[in-house]
Amino acid sequence: MSRHLNAHCPVLLALCLMLAACSDTPEPAGFAGLGADVTEEAFAQPARGDDLRFPDDFGPHPDHRIEWWYLTANLTTDEGEPLGLQWTQFRQSLVARNPLTPAPPAHRWPLEAGWMAHAAVSFREQHWFAEKLARGGTGQAEARARPFEVWLDDWHLQATAPGHWRLRVRDQGWSYDLRIQVEGDPVAHGDRGFSAKTAGGEGSMYFSLVDLAIEGEVTIDGMTHAVAGRGWFDREWSSQFLKAGQQGWDWFALHLDSGDKLMAFRLREEDGGYLSGSWVTPERAVIPLAAGSFSLEVTGQRQTGAGTVPVQWRIRVPQQGVDVTITAPPGQYWNDGLFPYWESPVSVRGSHRGDGYMELTGY
Amino acid sequence: MTLFAALFSHYRRHPLQLLALALMIVLATTLWTGVHHLTDRARVSLAESERAVAGQQQLVRDDGQPVTVQDFANLRRAGLCVMPWLEVRRPPPAGRVIGVDPFAATCFGDQAPGQAGSDALNGEPFLDIGEAAQLSTNGGEGVLSLLVPQTVDPAQLPPGYQLRGFSLGPATGELGESFLLNLDALGVLVLLITALLVRSVYQLGLVQRRESFALLTRFGVPGGRVWGWLLAEMAALTALCVLPGLWLGRWLAALLGGGFGAALENLFDTPLYAVGAGGVAVPALVMGAVVLAACFADRRLLRYLPAARYVGTWPAALVGLVVGLLLVRFATVLGWLFAGIALVFVAVGVLTPRALAGMAQWRARAGEGLGKWRRRELAVVFRRLALPVVALQFAVAMVLAVQALVSTFENTFEVWLGQRLEAEFYVEVPAFVAVADGVHYLDGLAGLGDWHLVQRGRAQLESAGGTPALPQVDLFAISPVGPLVTGWTLLVAAPDAWSRLAAGEGVMVNEQLARRQGYEPGDTITFRLDGRARTLPVLGVYADYGRPAGEILTAGQVLPAAFQPRFVSFSINPGALAMDDVRQGLAAAWGTEALTARDNQSIQTLASGVFDQTFLLTRAITVLTLVLAGASLLIMGWVFFTTRVWYYRLLSVWGLTRREAANQLRWLAVALTGCVALVALPLGVWLTWVLVARINPLAFGWSLPMAVYPGFWLEMLGWCLLIGVVISLLMGRQLRGLTPAPAMANVAAGGER
Repeated sequence: MSRHLNAHCPVLLALCLMLAACSDTPEPAGFAGLGADVTEEAFAQPARGDDLRFPDDFGPHPDHRIEWWYLTANLTTDEGEPLGLQWTQFRQSLVARNPLTPAPPAHRWPLEAGWMAHAAVSFREQHWFAEKLARGGTGQAEARARPFEVWLDDWHLQATAPGHWRLRVRDQGWSYDLRIQVEGDPVAHGDRGFSAKTAGGEGSMYFSLVDLAIEGEVTIDGMTHAVAGRGWFDREWSSQFLKAGQQGWDWFALHLDSGDKLMAFRLREEDGGYLSGSWVTPERAVIPLAAGSFSLEVTGQRQTGAGTVPVQWRIRVPQQGVDVTITAPPGQYWNDGLFPYWESPVSVRGSHRGDGYMELTGY
Repeated sequence: MTLFAALFSHYRRHPLQLLALALMIVLATTLWTGVHHLTDRARVSLAESERAVAGQQQLVRDDGQPVTVQDFANLRRAGLCVMPWLEVRRPPPAGRVIGVDPFAATCFGDQAPGQAGSDALNGEPFLDIGEAAQLSTNGGEGVLSLLVPQTVDPAQLPPGYQLRGFSLGPATGELGESFLLNLDALGVLVLLITALLVRSVYQLGLVQRRESFALLTRFGVPGGRVWGWLLAEMAALTALCVLPGLWLGRWLAALLGGGFGAALENLFDTPLYAVGAGGVAVPALVMGAVVLAACFADRRLLRYLPAARYVGTWPAALVGLVVGLLLVRFATVLGWLFAGIALVFVAVGVLTPRALAGMAQWRARAGEGLGKWRRRELAVVFRRLALPVVALQFAVAMVLAVQALVSTFENTFEVWLGQRLEAEFYVEVPAFVAVADGVHYLDGLAGLGDWHLVQRGRAQLESAGGTPALPQVDLFAISPVGPLVTGWTLLVAAPDAWSRLAAGEGVMVNEQLARRQGYEPGDTITFRLDGRARTLPVLGVYADYGRPAGEILTAGQVLPAAFQPRFVSFSINPGALAMDDVRQGLAAAWGTEALTARDNQSIQTLASGVFDQTFLLTRAITVLTLVLAGASLLIMGWVFFTTRVWYYRLLSVWGLTRREAANQLRWLAVALTGCVALVALPLGVWLTWVLVARINPLAFGWSLPMAVYPGFWLEMLGWCLLIGVVISLLMGRQLRGLTPAPAMANVAAGGER
């Protein structure tokens, strides 16, 4: 959840600057615009007590400043080699619009929102990343709830049948085409979907699909690999939930062999930061994790071309008997877009085994 | 009284002189700022045009319909890197803007259209495509194009689309820049005339102030200090007058912007883009420097030397004249040509007053009494008013030349247009119909007059070795080659040119292409059409005015079967039939109702409108310069004659009545301005030849026949004489005033008797 938000804050800042450069719309205030006074620009602000609505919340929220659709996958090739995938699509509003109000016609080339998509493949200690940008309102990039569909150019996530999705991404030298079976209902984080990001109560609406069975093909440098594995899908939207002084973001989404799922994040600050998470049982019961109920500890660093990155972590959730070490595979996993951040698959060892994804920003 | 107050008291006594100086600076600043602003803007536009679309290509729909935002979205979703490019033409003086989508441009990387560093697509004329779309719905005319990178593989295009080259106009070489250089030269001439006028007025004032300076010297004021105050005085006056001049210059540029933009577009297919307002620093500094240099370039002024001594000697001027004439005759680069013109002007400027004064002095040897006095006085006037005389001479010469150029072009253009528009009606063939059906219908129509099919497209020139380093040119194919075209006057032609063209045995080229590539009848030309190269002899060169593109004229049978013309039309003389019947018959043959038939007259009107716009700016500059020079000479003449009032009153002492004295002055003034007009004439005729035969081919790509217009000469002579009459009338008022104090006699402006 919040991870992406922070993770992509620099990217969003770039997006905001770009949008501001080509319109008279004032640049949003605060960190990536997320600290702006939403009442001034009529953006809606999530608050404790708000409810999730399905399937509408799979679609866009034009009355909110920012939202994203995020998918990661821990896959294995036919040869048994691990392969990680990421796809994220962001929408950043410049103008708030009531969802019931029709969008301006496409021939006016409206600039209500900017879209950005990221995709990455991690395989054999190498990392491929691509980024795309688009303006909303022309049909080049959009999202729909019914039927569920999110696209930017030819990068396309779409529901092909109830409970079945397809994700296609293509870039120079690599591509993937995944068939995704969605198992289970959405998992609401925080308080019925409201996920606090600061002690002051700012936050976002956030839910996940934590049981995605994935198979498909990944082509790298002309060689196609059949892949299969499991994935994690996030939806999150907000207008303002960060505060000044937050330096970066550490976020984890883990699939444990016990069938449990763990999502944990930390917004780093001078005095330690704000921690939160969710423990999801095999029955998909969600237990919110507050700051005192789990711990994150860096146990290993790696020198990379773009700085030192904490690639090994110890996570403890005493109430669930969890004491695991999270490790990124060898290699460098920078998503080198407008503003770089780290996005890598991880392995889980210790009291539990498993895999998952880790996102780190601000390093 | 302070030193400054003592010095400035001169202008309290002679407010007209101050007014004349101020007026000249304001007018000259206005003119030069206006020209500078327009040429500056045009240069940015030319650069933007070339930079923005260099090497780009676009996607168009197979069905010929314009692309839309839906096409853009479809193509992007198909995985193609496509960016929208919305050009919006706004009514003058707003100019054209280009709407772009920076998000969509990211897939182009460094190859994005308009890329030239980190500020690519940033700032005017580029703006967000949403804003451009808004402008297009508010009265602007928007045209959407979808650009793709050079690397796109045609095989990957979705069905229904094809690749086309993208450019804002045909390759025009350096013509656009040459055109602007022309205007720059006009602007420099304006500056030169201004400098001459300001200098002459200022020098006159200094002579009148000699006694003041002498008095100050006797009071112990150092000469350097006086000089410093004079400099400060003039700098302050310049600063005060330049400001309104700058504002008026902007206003003038805005006023003429529409016509100028149309001229750029008509001549070079280069739109005038909306660009920033541009700085005022350059015009302000240039005007300041010109005025101060004109006034203080020669510090001998402070030594109270008599006014205007001519710079240089006549032998040097003669050498300069010869060198200048040779340069103009043989230069192949516009820069050298202008240098030659400048030399000729300088030499003429030095020689003219000397020659006129010498002539008057020589004529004074004969005759007796008043006649001798008049001629000697005229010689004095020519020497004393040398600079304004030369300024008026230049201005009149410039007006004569530009008028001749425009009139020649107008006449030539009309004759040419008459030949080109031999048919009475022109029917555009709609998209999606079979041209052959129309041909078949017209072939079978009894009683129909002459007609032919016109197909226009593009061809790629190739060098003999097959290297495609040469530009693309327009292709103009006619079938059959018949009486509607064979009446064209060819500039040069091989024997039986038309019959050989009709037989497909060769091609003709327009003058622009012939000049650019050096083609002459008998040469061969190789061009590629739809992948097939053809080599044919050049049979003739035809005039093709008012547009920049090179063009090949060929018979329709030379075209390959797969040739895709960009435009197809029929030129038809209905003969014994009613054109409306023919039009309806064609519409029925094609099964369409939307058929456009334009008559000869409507096209003539359109072309004339284009012509008028093209020369609006040139005419405006020359007329305003003439007004400036004429007004200045009027003021100068009046001021000068006023300084000699005491002398002219001696005519009464000699026994002349007031009327007889006034007649003497009238003769003097009219002889002065009449002589200026006469000496301007040869310079004007020479300048006309330079414009039509030397500058025009270099600047526009085509030449014009040399023609002279004696009627207009008389008109200009009339204006000059009128100025002389007005001066004499003003002098008459002066003579009726009180007799000045005898002390004024030795203040004597000019000091000559």
